[in-house]
Amino acid sequence: MSITIIKKGISDSIQDAGRYGYQHIGIQPGGYMDYLSAQLANFILNNPISNPVIEIHFPASTFCFESANTICITGANFVPVLNEKSVAMQTPLQVKKGDVLKFLQPIHGRISYIAFKGELLNDKWLNSFSYFSKRLEVGAKLDIINSVATPKDPDSFNDLFEKIETAVFKPAPFQFIPGPAWKDLDTSSIQQILNTGFTTTLQSNRMGFQLKGPLLNLMSPKSYLSSAVTRGTMQLLPNGELIILMADHQTIGGYPNLGQIILVDLPRFAQLGNDSIIHFSLTNVDSAQQQYQSLQNRFTN
Amino acid sequence: MKQNENHRIKDWQVHHLGDHAIVFVLPAIMHESIIAEIMQFNLFIESKKINGIKDRIPSYHSLTIIYDILLLQKTILESFTSMDLIEFGNKLLAEFLDEPTLEKENKLENEIIKIPVCYDIDFGIDLKIISELKKINMDEIIKIHTSSIYNVYCLGFMPGFAYMGKVNELIQISRHSKPRPLVPAGSVGIAGEQTGIYPMNAPGGWQIIGRTPIKIFDPIHLAKFKVGDRIQFYSIDKATYLATNEYSNN
Repeated sequence: MSITIIKKGISDSIQDAGRYGYQHIGIQPGGYMDYLSAQLANFILNNPISNPVIEIHFPASTFCFESANTICITGANFVPVLNEKSVAMQTPLQVKKGDVLKFLQPIHGRISYIAFKGELLNDKWLNSFSYFSKRLEVGAKLDIINSVATPKDPDSFNDLFEKIETAVFKPAPFQFIPGPAWKDLDTSSIQQILNTGFTTTLQSNRMGFQLKGPLLNLMSPKSYLSSAVTRGTMQLLPNGELIILMADHQTIGGYPNLGQIILVDLPRFAQLGNDSIIHFSLTNVDSAQQQYQSLQNRFTN
Repeated sequence: MKQNENHRIKDWQVHHLGDHAIVFVLPAIMHESIIAEIMQFNLFIESKKINGIKDRIPSYHSLTIIYDILLLQKTILESFTSMDLIEFGNKLLAEFLDEPTLEKENKLENEIIKIPVCYDIDFGIDLKIISELKKINMDEIIKIHTSSIYNVYCLGFMPGFAYMGKVNELIQISRHSKPRPLVPAGSVGIAGEQTGIYPMNAPGGWQIIGRTPIKIFDPIHLAKFKVGDRIQFYSIDKATYLATNEYSNN
């Protein structure tokens, strides 16, 4: 069985939970931008939740199914249509040989996911299907061995879906934990981060989202020896602007590290459209880990 | 630097980096004794085979551990009830500091890796500006850059990119304020005290002084350098560069 790309999207790719264990030689972890929506799609199909999925931006690719399969679409709503007929998201969807899946227009969110039944046979590099720069081109194929396991009963995941929908799409401040350079910010910059809105810009991609907002300053110019950054790191650029690092972030950074947005809020951050106004709020490690854990535990029930 | 009776540097600190990483730090100094100690601690953590650690990233004076929240919590709960991560980190540090330092690495590991660089101004596109700013002629810049032995302090920025130091003060220069949209693969650059090689075509802000024909990263052999390696550059002419260029696309 395979899924073939018959029209190229702007930036679609195969993603899984990412490539860890190689950051010490500078290899970016990659992986789903909105891991919650990707996990949900796999969960609904009764897949292991860290299975590879197709990550889609708008304008999206068009897909043709070469044999029957069961898929599930989650995340951003780009109005999916199967053979020109509108189809539901967040639910198992049967596709037949020759069916064509298109996405018509972005209603909300930035990134959509397609999970599928079966095992992906495409090439892995260092144990991951996530590639840093490889995008799905016309003619690219996902080769899949079909598996027979049955999808979950919709009643069993409606509650989970609502929780994920809230976590990923309901507006709220982005919680962060102060980083090593936080104490070096001047007082007005600290006030501005905590009280002023910042705006997402066109400079937003899988590596990072550059924000517009009040220009921030350190109390006095200071240089830092480079050290590891993570998904969610808030870097202060030399011009006073903020950049938030995302899934394909570089592994090491020399810019002042003001803080890290917590894991549970990163899917919601990844789904922000351009020109969205956002706010930040302080949190701590215990609260962040509890929030992450309570959401992740729902997938095991 | 204070050392204990086991000749370990004592000034370690451990702190959180967000909700899924912790960092062990020594004083922020670019020095081979510091990075050597960081690498010793890295080996110590590796030997512990702690379930839940996803990445160990050494860099200058820090070792950052990226972890899986659920798995590491489980590991800690199983072995050390009600210990928080910082306590856990401090326990690891205490254990490490109690161990005597290992014998100096054998000579082979300390060998200097020699890297050819063509400093032609077609490749060293910032040589002229540095020469003017620093009032040092270009030949002298090349002489200074090739006379130091550099330590690899971390890899990052992109796969295989090694941050090396320390660059002689006479030719230290800060990054461009606006990164170039494309720096060719193999380009050798300077950023403050650091020097490094671009493993692939990429945007970047380092001041470019030359280009190496040697591939320093590929998807099969991965990175040519590792943290702690010692490297020296030597100058080659353009003909030698062209004859030995391992990059196909530039």
